[in-house]
Amino acid sequence: MPSKDKVLEEVTRTENIDIDAVLDPAEPDGVFRDSRECAALALQSGGTSLLLSPPTPRPKKG
Amino acid sequence: MRVREVEESALDWVWTHRDRFALGDDALAADGQVNRTWKPLGELTQVCASVSRCTPPGDPLHTRVSELLDFAWQQTHRGELFPLMQSLEPFATYPLEVYAAFASAGLRHPGYEASAAVLTRTRGWRLTEQYPTRRLGVLEAERRSGIDPHGDVPQALGRTWLGGLPEPWTFERAAGYALTHVVFHLTDWGRTPRGVPEDLADYLLHWLPPWLDTCLDARMWDLSCELLAVAASLPRPPEPAVLEDAWQRVAAARAGSGAIPEEGAAQDAAGADPGPDPYDFADCYHSTLMAAFAAALATAAAARPPDVRQAARPAGQGAPG
Amino acid sequence: MEQSSTSALLQGTVLDLASDVVSALRSGDHARAGSTLTAGGAAEGVARAAVRVLGADTLLPSVLLRVTPDPAQLAVFKEAVAAHPPRHDAAPTVMWSHWAMTRALRRAEHPLTGPPRDEPDAEPDARWLDDAGWQFLTHQLAVLAPLALPGEECAVTRVARGRPVDVARGFVRAVRRRDWQQAAGAGRWLTLLDGVPDTLGLEAGLDFVRLMGGSDPRVALQLEAARLMPAGVLL
Repeated sequence: MPSKDKVLEEVTRTENIDIDAVLDPAEPDGVFRDSRECAALALQSGGTSLLLSPPTPRPKKG
Repeated sequence: MRVREVEESALDWVWTHRDRFALGDDALAADGQVNRTWKPLGELTQVCASVSRCTPPGDPLHTRVSELLDFAWQQTHRGELFPLMQSLEPFATYPLEVYAAFASAGLRHPGYEASAAVLTRTRGWRLTEQYPTRRLGVLEAERRSGIDPHGDVPQALGRTWLGGLPEPWTFERAAGYALTHVVFHLTDWGRTPRGVPEDLADYLLHWLPPWLDTCLDARMWDLSCELLAVAASLPRPPEPAVLEDAWQRVAAARAGSGAIPEEGAAQDAAGADPGPDPYDFADCYHSTLMAAFAAALATAAAARPPDVRQAARPAGQGAPG
Repeated sequence: MEQSSTSALLQGTVLDLASDVVSALRSGDHARAGSTLTAGGAAEGVARAAVRVLGADTLLPSVLLRVTPDPAQLAVFKEAVAAHPPRHDAAPTVMWSHWAMTRALRRAEHPLTGPPRDEPDAEPDARWLDDAGWQFLTHQLAVLAPLALPGEECAVTRVARGRPVDVARGFVRAVRRRDWQQAAGAGRWLTLLDGVPDTLGLEAGLDFVRLMGGSDPRVALQLEAARLMPAGVLL
């Protein structure tokens, strides 16, 4: 068992720590983020018929 | 009374900005944005129909929403645009859903109803792929438009998030919007609280408080107002303290013009010193309408005769201390 | 600078201590509950402060597993109770967490007979919860989760028993806020309360909190307590 003096000394040292604040904590701010939904795979892109549109014409070389 | 103030100021904003709800040329265009044309007009109409029903004829708010209903009906050329829309997009459900809002206010077009009934009888209409909540909305739109609903409400309800009584801590934004609309459809937009089955009413009375609290905390004003409308559409009211707290927070989110932003992001964008009318139409029209809707329902619910309201079971919980 | 490094040290020791308790609750080996304390891993003052912070839950394995605590751990626990008495104007949670430690100490020292009846076991004031809204109530109960024990009888547990729906609402709110520590503490209380709505889905909710926040040993501790609670022997 530690001596009384030693206990006192350590109590003084740990007084630096604000234990009351740890024992009576304020509530943290809420964190809010909603799950998202990606459009189903292979679904037509945003109504713009991306998959169905013909390839963009390219300028012919030379 | 604070709730009445929110209703008045929200309708002030709507009245001042009514021209923004007008249908432009793009309403019938193939590449028009129906979410910016027909949807706001239908929402204006539905909210005005509900406020009109909730306020006595002598009330200035009743007069105001009656004028707004006239304005909206004029936009549809007294209903003539509905058969025209149908000829352009026969299998779209939104024209019927928008029409149903007018029909519930007594503004009807018998020719459109008759032709819509031809389409709703098809298997194709019945099998339209859509979210369960939307399905319920279409069934209700049919009923309100004098058409035989194409399916069964309890069955449609069972497929919704709310109808399945999910764990309340799984609530998120999308579930929230789904559930508020389920209640709107079940109660004909607050008209018949008894349309909410007993188990759903118990469920909602238990869990609305934490949903409201967290949506308000997240500054999701639009969904918060919808949840307040749900709270006012139940056979029994939630605890007064829950509602008082929520209404105070909604009231505090108002701009000087009466507009309520959809989300906190719009407030952040408006800066520390916003003017009286700081929000774009698209960022506040829906939440402001929902605030007026919820406030009208809440005011009417508070005025219901006591014997109807006290039919509720006592709200006690737990073992006596 | 010195204060912040000291509190970081304290925080770390609390986490180590909580991990010890979690291991003990999971394995049934109560001796592991105090290895952070008895292995000389932390300076004595910090160790005592950490025990004060973790509170009565430091002895939870011996309570829930019904075994005598390790004498060395008990000695540190006793010192922590003595070294950190609440000031007369301390917050209610500070008062009550100290009271809970005193209570746990008496039980540990008299495992067979229970605390001697002639010793006054005066409870702190519980009036601060009288008109507490459900949000504040749940937060305070979660902070005082060490009082959530099968058969515990005090003013705080009586308040909790009277408000199962409010605590359940607080659990939903805490999960929505992603405050896993509060959610776990509230969940532990809920396992003890009658009248919690079935639709809450508490079991799945506790699994969810473990999935999302269980890497924090303070969260895991509450969840382990909740897991053992229904089978717990009444105090």
